[in-house]
Amino acid sequence: MSDELIQIETPFAFNEENQREFNALIGRYPVKEAAMLPTLHLAQRQAGYITPAVMKYVAEQLEVSVMKVKDVVTFYPMFFEEPVGEYVIRICHTLPCALRDCKIVLDHLKAKLDTDVASETNLAKGTTADGKFTLMKVECLASCDVAPVIMVNDDLHKNLTPEKVDEIIDNL
Amino acid sequence: MIEERRILYEHLDVPDINTFDVFRQYDGYTRFEKAITEYQPDDIAKMVMDSGLKGRGGAGFSTGLKWSFVPRDIKPCYLCCNADESEPGTFSNRYVLEKNPHLLIEGILICCYAMGIETTYVYIRGEFTLGKQMLDAAIKEAYEQGYLGKDIRGTGLNIDIYSHPGAGAYICGEETGLIESLEGKRGQPRNKPPFPAVEGVFGKPTVVQNVETLCNLPFIVGNGVEWYTQMGPTYADTRSDPPTPDPNTGTKLYCISGDVNEPGVYELDLGLTCSELIEVAGGLRGEEVKAVIPGGSSAPILTHYELDTRLDFTSLTLAKSMLGSGGIIVMNETRNIVDCLLNIMKFYAHESCGQCTPCRWGTPWVRDIVQRIADGNGRKSTMTRPKFGVAENGRWGDTGETEDIYEDLDLLESVANNIANVDTMTWNTICVFGIAVSWPAVSYMRKFRPEFEAAIREGKLVTLPVAEATVPPEENYAYQQRFVPKEFADL
Ligand SMILES: Cc1cc2nc3c(=O)[nH]c(=O)nc-3n(C[C@H](O)[C@H](O)[C@H](O)COP(=O)(O)O)c2cc1C
Ligand code: SF4
Ligand code: FES
Repeated sequence: MSDELIQIETPFAFNEENQREFNALIGRYPVKEAAMLPTLHLAQRQAGYITPAVMKYVAEQLEVSVMKVKDVVTFYPMFFEEPVGEYVIRICHTLPCALRDCKIVLDHLKAKLDTDVASETNLAKGTTADGKFTLMKVECLASCDVAPVIMVNDDLHKNLTPEKVDEIIDNL
Repeated sequence: MIEERRILYEHLDVPDINTFDVFRQYDGYTRFEKAITEYQPDDIAKMVMDSGLKGRGGAGFSTGLKWSFVPRDIKPCYLCCNADESEPGTFSNRYVLEKNPHLLIEGILICCYAMGIETTYVYIRGEFTLGKQMLDAAIKEAYEQGYLGKDIRGTGLNIDIYSHPGAGAYICGEETGLIESLEGKRGQPRNKPPFPAVEGVFGKPTVVQNVETLCNLPFIVGNGVEWYTQMGPTYADTRSDPPTPDPNTGTKLYCISGDVNEPGVYELDLGLTCSELIEVAGGLRGEEVKAVIPGGSSAPILTHYELDTRLDFTSLTLAKSMLGSGGIIVMNETRNIVDCLLNIMKFYAHESCGQCTPCRWGTPWVRDIVQRIADGNGRKSTMTRPKFGVAENGRWGDTGETEDIYEDLDLLESVANNIANVDTMTWNTICVFGIAVSWPAVSYMRKFRPEFEAAIREGKLVTLPVAEATVPPEENYAYQQRFVPKEFADL
């Protein structure tokens, strides 16, 4: 992808707070490129998802090609290239959670939010019509002792039952 | 009844232990102070070597030995703390980060002092937002208190610690994948050699160490090697003559999940058996143990015949499995092994980094075969063939009987073994993720073959009673080859 081919609708730049955080980040590594993941996390928090404009901006800041940023973004499941809901609900479905009936929680969430589960290439599929929630399956969240678990944005919820899920979602 | 021995986790539940002041009340940083005032860096490295500490992250490699490979004349040298914890069934690092981050910092300081390292990156998985917050707060406090930064406590030591978030890729737990990811690239593992100890992050010597491994260091320095080596068995390595000691020393943060009444992290001396651990974790939830995964989802499965296997590095290796990350997953009689394997293979198919063809194509292929069997479309030939097993003369060979040909099971084994061969332990891939795929695939199938055959025969998942689902020891080649190590002191 050469720069001319990217259509930039709205340009992106860090706000003041994130710029400060970015400046601190950069000083930690002997090469700028190493700040890639933390920078993308910052940018995603500000922009909601990684747009072409974000990639271009990050590439400029880290002095690498846009292609390199795109390369990284596509590799890591935590970076989104499409809009996601205000609340991203990640439900773990790996073996220990499966042994503790995460399927019941998943089915309940699907019915309650009236949505399917997002796939990595189609986030819209798991996003509710009002754009409030995105439901996605993830692999082991390192909380198998309190399975089944979900993460709602940054918060982990443990030992879930359909009732607990109702309580969590209704209080958002 | 076996008692927990809490060392790393001793103060985990003390309120506010995550703050510097409270940590300090519980001997916090005194072990680091002891290290810098009483010992030379090389003394510390020798203590770690003598303690027999083995890496807790997965490979179980001797930490002292790893340190000895690091060239001392190339600077800078880096420490990467592996806090990526994404092996299914493992959750002990998380509690350290969230509740007692200063302990990790102290461990890092000791490692840095011993190795002459000035910069540490803690690669912390992206989903650990709370853990990262707590660690960052603790790092900030440590800077304020003069335990990090320039000229630490007037000794002239300069040590910096930075946390670095991952972004949800399992393969970044592999040490060279971690290094690539830390450099801001895709987390695709590197060919070895060169090993990270010689050429790691930014092309410099790098020590990669798991959180739990580093947390052991303050206690080894604080209480001494003799105290440390009393915990856990030391076996005799009979490959050499005379046999050499093979230490499995210290405690392990066993993570137990699945069908037990009280899942959680239990800190115990290495070397207790599977059934003992299940007892400690409140006993089995259900009637009978069907299977146990002893070391995270990558480890070959154990059947109910193997519950007397001791959960330590050596015993499990000799039982053709591994302690890995210490994540023990228990399954009771209601579980279907085909279904469990399907779940795990979906995980690996999702997490392959895609660099090597056998892994990129083979892993989804294995998943698809298992999916087909689980869906009831497994393939079986109408022909039969000679059956191999323990023949009349007691040797492995042609038994004179015939057996049905389950094409999909042969295919499963063949595809898996072409990613990485579990019998010869050779892999056709860059990293040992390949082994992590074929180990479960082949071991589940070989040890619970009746359940796979039943699914193909009946055209649907059938959960057999435990005794019927498990291949008996006399027909299980892996079981026959298993070896129980002797303790060094008993020789
Ligand atoms: C596929 C794969 C995933 C791994 N994931 C982790 C992990 O999440 N955490 C970890 O500490 N080690 C993990 N390891 C092991 C590391 O490669 C490495 O051996 C370890 O971090 C070394 O530290 P230690 O000697 O202290 O155990 C993984 C290895 C492989 C092959
Ligand atoms: S074995 Fe798999 S995970 Fe490892 S480098 Fe190759 S493709 Fe990547
Ligand atoms: S399997 Fe769900 S948290 Fe580990």
